[in-house]
Amino acid sequence: MKNTNMNRRTFLKVTTVAGGGLLVGCSFSSPKLLSTPQASEEELGMWIRISTDNKITLIVPSSEMGQQAHTGQAMLVAEELEADWNSIKVVTAPVHPEYIRSSKQSTGGSGSIQDWWEKLRQVGAGTREMLVAAAARKWGVPVEECRAENGQISHSPSGRSLNYGKLASAAAKLSPPDSPTLKTPDQYRLLGKSLPKIHTPTMVNGFAEFGIDVRRPGMLFAAVSQSPVFGGQVRSYDEAAAKAVKGVEAVVPIPNGVAVVADSTWHAKQGLEVLKLQFAGGDSTGLDSVKVNARLRAALDGMGKAEVTAEKVLDVEYEMPYLYHATMEPMNCTAHVTSDSCEVWVPTQNQTDTLKAVMEVTGFSKDQVQVHTTLLGGAFGRRAEWDFVSQAVTVSKALKKPVQVVWSREEDTQHDFYRPASMSRFQVGLGSDGLPVQWERQVAQPNLGARYIPQFGLIDFDPFTIAASVHDYPLLPKHFYKVEGVEVTHTPVDLGVPVGFWRSPPNSINVFYTESVLDELAHLAGQDPLAYRLKFLSASPRHKVALEQVAVQAGWGSPLPEGNGRGIAINDWPPMEEDFTVAAVVAEVSITNRGKLKVHRVDCVIDCGFAVNPDSVMAQMEGGIIMGMSAALFEQITLEDGRVAQSNFDDYRIARMRDTPEINVSIVKSDSAPTGTGEPATSPIVPAITNAIFAATGKRIRSLPIGKQKLV
Amino acid sequence: MDVESDTPLLWAIRDTVGLTGTKYGCGIQQCGACTVLIGKRPVRSCGITVGEVAGKDITTIEGLSEGSKHPVQLAWIEEQVPQCGYCQSGQIMAAVSLLEQKPNPTDQEIDRGMLNLCRCGTYTRVRKAIHRASDLLKEVS
Repeated sequence: MKNTNMNRRTFLKVTTVAGGGLLVGCSFSSPKLLSTPQASEEELGMWIRISTDNKITLIVPSSEMGQQAHTGQAMLVAEELEADWNSIKVVTAPVHPEYIRSSKQSTGGSGSIQDWWEKLRQVGAGTREMLVAAAARKWGVPVEECRAENGQISHSPSGRSLNYGKLASAAAKLSPPDSPTLKTPDQYRLLGKSLPKIHTPTMVNGFAEFGIDVRRPGMLFAAVSQSPVFGGQVRSYDEAAAKAVKGVEAVVPIPNGVAVVADSTWHAKQGLEVLKLQFAGGDSTGLDSVKVNARLRAALDGMGKAEVTAEKVLDVEYEMPYLYHATMEPMNCTAHVTSDSCEVWVPTQNQTDTLKAVMEVTGFSKDQVQVHTTLLGGAFGRRAEWDFVSQAVTVSKALKKPVQVVWSREEDTQHDFYRPASMSRFQVGLGSDGLPVQWERQVAQPNLGARYIPQFGLIDFDPFTIAASVHDYPLLPKHFYKVEGVEVTHTPVDLGVPVGFWRSPPNSINVFYTESVLDELAHLAGQDPLAYRLKFLSASPRHKVALEQVAVQAGWGSPLPEGNGRGIAINDWPPMEEDFTVAAVVAEVSITNRGKLKVHRVDCVIDCGFAVNPDSVMAQMEGGIIMGMSAALFEQITLEDGRVAQSNFDDYRIARMRDTPEINVSIVKSDSAPTGTGEPATSPIVPAITNAIFAATGKRIRSLPIGKQKLV
Repeated sequence: MDVESDTPLLWAIRDTVGLTGTKYGCGIQQCGACTVLIGKRPVRSCGITVGEVAGKDITTIEGLSEGSKHPVQLAWIEEQVPQCGYCQSGQIMAAVSLLEQKPNPTDQEIDRGMLNLCRCGTYTRVRKAIHRASDLLKEVS
């Protein structure tokens, strides 16, 4: 097993709690001097809490949003801790620098296992070693004769054993080890097994607590309305009318709109109905989808077409629409601001910016703020934002009472941070062997990079147009397809519509482009799309294996009924990184002679290194494929008169049961360190479907969604 | 229940009764996250008022069984259906009702009967779990 950080020292910190028990903290950045008893209270109990009555709580750094981060991370700790899997409890961490990965305490990038693989196992192993040492000391026997297993330390020569709870207080007085010894894979009892997900029991009986389910004593409910034109301001409203509604307690201005606060959700909604709220102005005033396309087209044309001279030339344009996240749980946050403190309960992927938002609205220091992360009813990047946090805190600050802000589906649909609309031109010249000799690409889309790193806006640079795409940028790692003669230019286009991360930016745009174009080139060269792709993978053995394996699994090349076709595509995630997951898919579709499309079957092969919980990996592939398919078939946000035209699931259609194909997933056996699974499958399914449509009908889809486009 | 009769059942269940297993998803009877049973009929509780259901027997996810022992819940656990879990109360209530009407549903009948939305994409497992629940229900009876 590859362990890149094997030698990094881990500094565990421990202490007892009142009444005994063990709190295990851990610092990856501070010197060991901070270990007990000098460590401050708040730095302890950050990872593991073992009470004297043997209750074990694991504090995990990642938010649970359906990707099974809680289960996977608990498995990492419990494996090394030798804890009894059935008796542990898992909670999401509070805000603290120790839970930061790269620059923020946040969950995303499919990193919950990959980023915490080393650290969480070390925390578990270090704690186990202390419990073993405590037992050995208590019994007066050598440490080597004691063994940790399933929540017990036992000494077989004397037949004695004690559970962790009984040893917790004694262990807390010991000095923590510097470099705990991690298990070797052959010693794993939990890792690599499809353990049931930790939250399944409360998700089937209604007791799982999402943000919207938080209830605080004296809590009020707020309904909000925000300017439908992005960046617009409130002009007027009839406060008295709203306050005349039964149960309405207050009308509070929020940054770009108004909140009506009442004793129930229904009363708040009724108050909002009669508020006669008027808005004015905004960044997207007058914008519609025709203008969006015209602006993108102008930017694309502004870059100018290239001169391509070759035996065969592909000259095509592609486009993709704005997309909405559509989490099933709408945006919400519960806040309680008092004169000197603020608590928030929020389904968030981003604790760092949540804390910042609270501090900004309240003026409090971070010591005065507590962030409680609930379960997230879907996230996909939307809950990395904090607009709903600022709103709840603003309202609670005004009323000094606990307030829950819940958006209507309409607000949620019309105030997203959308996946950017995009337009791209490819001009590729092929040599006599059918391989590219010149690859010209131009792309115009809103600057997604600048949303998060404003400096990119100053130099008109957007890395999100480059990653997951064949490119020629000298300082950035190359794409897995080895292609010669590449020239990429891009122009960011500011349209005044908020953009954000949508399950695997930039791949969810660029993989459609790249894998469609590769398919077009294969056909232009008169070669099989699988065989053609393999020619570019001489330096990418894992990609090659995944493609070949998925082809075998899907029966690539075997005869199909008339009207059916197969398409293939591949992706890696994260793009341009040293450690990545590879996902390859084959989609099989049918098109009736009336042009009705059905995706029948999807085969997927994933290489994500060592699969910590294979069933969770499969679930992420299944779900990623269905979400990607939904985007390919149905989804688009359009604009009318400066605002989003869609407002709910009746006009923003997402995939249903009847759209769902048979999905077969297999996992490449690997002993490399694990890599992510939340995002890799969402992107390649899209071109796999459109490539399959081409195979079935000869119709090339260059604009999404497929929607009502004529296929025959 | 002390609420005005024009209150949607969903909000009365969540805010007044205090049972939060029934979820809000769309408010226009599109997503099914708020599905409850009235008698044995599945109803999207966002689209019906308290006045319309006065005196009727309403079952929410919390009241489906003692200790999550309903065959549909057991099947959901066996197939490990939920991802984020938010839509699953509604999915389960819809499945309970589907199996009442069609004890042996075909895939096509599941397609037609299960209209609840799931953004995580648990549909393949929902389908498997309904078939499994169908088997479990036969064992019970």
